[in-house]
Amino acid sequence: MMRPPPSRMDPNAQTIQCPQCGAPAPFRGHTVSLVCEYCESTIVRTGVDISLVGKVSALVDNGSPIILGSRGRFHGTPFEVVGRLQVQYGRGTWNEWYVEMADNTVGWLTDAQGAYSIVRPKDQSIVAGRVPPFAHIEINQILEIDGVPACVVDRRGAAYKGAEGSLPFAAQPGMEFYGADLRGFNGEFLTLDYGNDPNHNAPVPYMGESIELAEVGLHPLRQFSGWRFTGWTPPETAGQVPPQGQA
Amino acid sequence: MAAQAPPAPAKVFREPAQTESVQCPCCGGPITLTGFGGIEQVACPYCGSELSPEDSGALSVMKQLQRQQRTSALQLHTRGTLDGIECEVLGIVWRECNVDGATYPWQEFLLYNPYRGYRWLVYSMSDHHWSLGATLLGAPRVDGGSMQRAVEFKKTSYRHFQTVNAVVSYVEGEFPWQLHVGDNAIAHEYIAPPVAISIEESHMPDGSADVNFTSMCHIEGSDVWKAFGCEGSPPELSGVGSVRPNPYKARGKFVWAAFGALMAALIAVSVIYIGGRTNKVIYDKSGVEGIGVVSQEITIGEGDSDTTLEVEFSAIALSNQWAFVDIMLINIGAEEAMGFGLTAEEWHGNTGGESWREGKSKQSVTLGGVKSGKYLLQITPSTGGPKTPVKLKPGQKAPPPLKLKYNLRIKENIVLSRYIFIAFFVIITFPLINVMLGFFFEGKRWRNSDYSST
Repeated sequence: MMRPPPSRMDPNAQTIQCPQCGAPAPFRGHTVSLVCEYCESTIVRTGVDISLVGKVSALVDNGSPIILGSRGRFHGTPFEVVGRLQVQYGRGTWNEWYVEMADNTVGWLTDAQGAYSIVRPKDQSIVAGRVPPFAHIEINQILEIDGVPACVVDRRGAAYKGAEGSLPFAAQPGMEFYGADLRGFNGEFLTLDYGNDPNHNAPVPYMGESIELAEVGLHPLRQFSGWRFTGWTPPETAGQVPPQGQA
Repeated sequence: MAAQAPPAPAKVFREPAQTESVQCPCCGGPITLTGFGGIEQVACPYCGSELSPEDSGALSVMKQLQRQQRTSALQLHTRGTLDGIECEVLGIVWRECNVDGATYPWQEFLLYNPYRGYRWLVYSMSDHHWSLGATLLGAPRVDGGSMQRAVEFKKTSYRHFQTVNAVVSYVEGEFPWQLHVGDNAIAHEYIAPPVAISIEESHMPDGSADVNFTSMCHIEGSDVWKAFGCEGSPPELSGVGSVRPNPYKARGKFVWAAFGALMAALIAVSVIYIGGRTNKVIYDKSGVEGIGVVSQEITIGEGDSDTTLEVEFSAIALSNQWAFVDIMLINIGAEEAMGFGLTAEEWHGNTGGESWREGKSKQSVTLGGVKSGKYLLQITPSTGGPKTPVKLKPGQKAPPPLKLKYNLRIKENIVLSRYIFIAFFVIITFPLINVMLGFFFEGKRWRNSDYSST
């Protein structure tokens, strides 16, 4: 399986080398932190400075079918998975896959216990002061976020566990943060990220929708012993391009 | 000159994920792990001990148990294809609820496909119904306006069926979240057969909480048997089940379509039939006075065909009086005769301070299969008063004899509307019976809900 050249979606990718092992460190436009795929060192870019954080990532195999380099199409816009943040909470782990869209925007493909959603960051100002602080968020509560009414389905404190690939910030393993997930009445999926302080009411909102991997035609995917991925059957929703049989 | 190649990347998780065979740290039983790292808990199939995979891959013991393995409707690691998606039974949970002192157990099978995520197959042990569940992609909106609790999702309204406290009684296999015997959750079921939305809330000791929306769709046991290649046939259903589609509702479309077609046919036939009737009046005398016998020759029908006659008799201004005509129709050519009588009467009086009135002032008769030809019509009218004549006091004059004034009309080739009505009733009986059976079916379904009247 060939990974696409890193510059495929970002012609301005800089040629940076891993300070630890000297392997190419393909920082892209939005990338702040990168886990070297050769030596697993975390490299952080601050302006033009590159600093080495060391081997801090403790990624565990949580059975995700998604891999760095998986590509799909979200509402017609191609995207590529370029990084992963793995998060641990009371009930286990989940993955936030960092995706770069072909229109030069970014998003996150959330992957929790086989349920998927794609969300994009929105400006804090659309919710600041209009949502309760994390401590007052309750499940089943209906909140309106940027005009979208949605039901709180999950609230938890969690910690970064590990990372791979590119990320738009420097995630320190063990760093704790609080967040709530909401589901909208029309399939919207929203996350309120309160960061590491549960007592303010200006979380970063992420808005998007629940998806199925088949729907976005994600491929290539990881291989699982005893299972054969034969490509997605064409989704019912029109306008999707069936994947080119690669598994 | 060849360029210096960097060392091969470690390629985290890009190698095929492998299944594992391990031993239960409690009973030593062989455990096959097929959940590929997405697993938070393993319950040993043999002893039931609840184990937790460490990051290193080793299983740590959360709770040591020594329970017997139960026989579930499907075995762990069985594979099948449902809705075109291959899946494996990764975990089995038995849960139960208690309603009015009775325990209702059910089995839940966690179905897994690494590319499609998790689904649930649920088997009710009390009535043997099956349903297939998946995460609802969205949130149902609570509908506060109606009498009965309901939720709405994507323009479908789901009526509240029941709320139970579901308690885990048995666990076997792998799960992507922790699940322990004794765990309980409040589960609300809202139905729009064949689909239900289940809303389950759970709170964790660490203060985190979540609510899960699951859509559950009815599935036939025989389809489960086929999907998983089970031997024999699934257990026979008892009762209606909460989301089993109403067969009469499903049939309703066909039944009403058939009704529509038959009605159209009936209307067409009726139009032709009515159009072919002449409804011709062949005898009509109004205001005939007295009780003299009338004799007249009339012609009935045309050619050789039979016809249907309607004879209508009415008497005018009767008062505590009956009127009767004896009618003879004598076929002159065939020397055959038909005789029949028609009555009109009117009675009134005052009994115990209440005035009353009864009797009908007209009567008609329909005669079918009357041969065409010349007939002699003979009308013999008669009339009378009460059976016990009023006794006359001395000096009282006898009342004048009762008079009679009547009308008689005979029509041939008439429309027999009763044939049309009989056909209509036969046609509408089927949809009506279907609606009724459907209604009974729903009644039976809702008897198992929180809204049962018993």
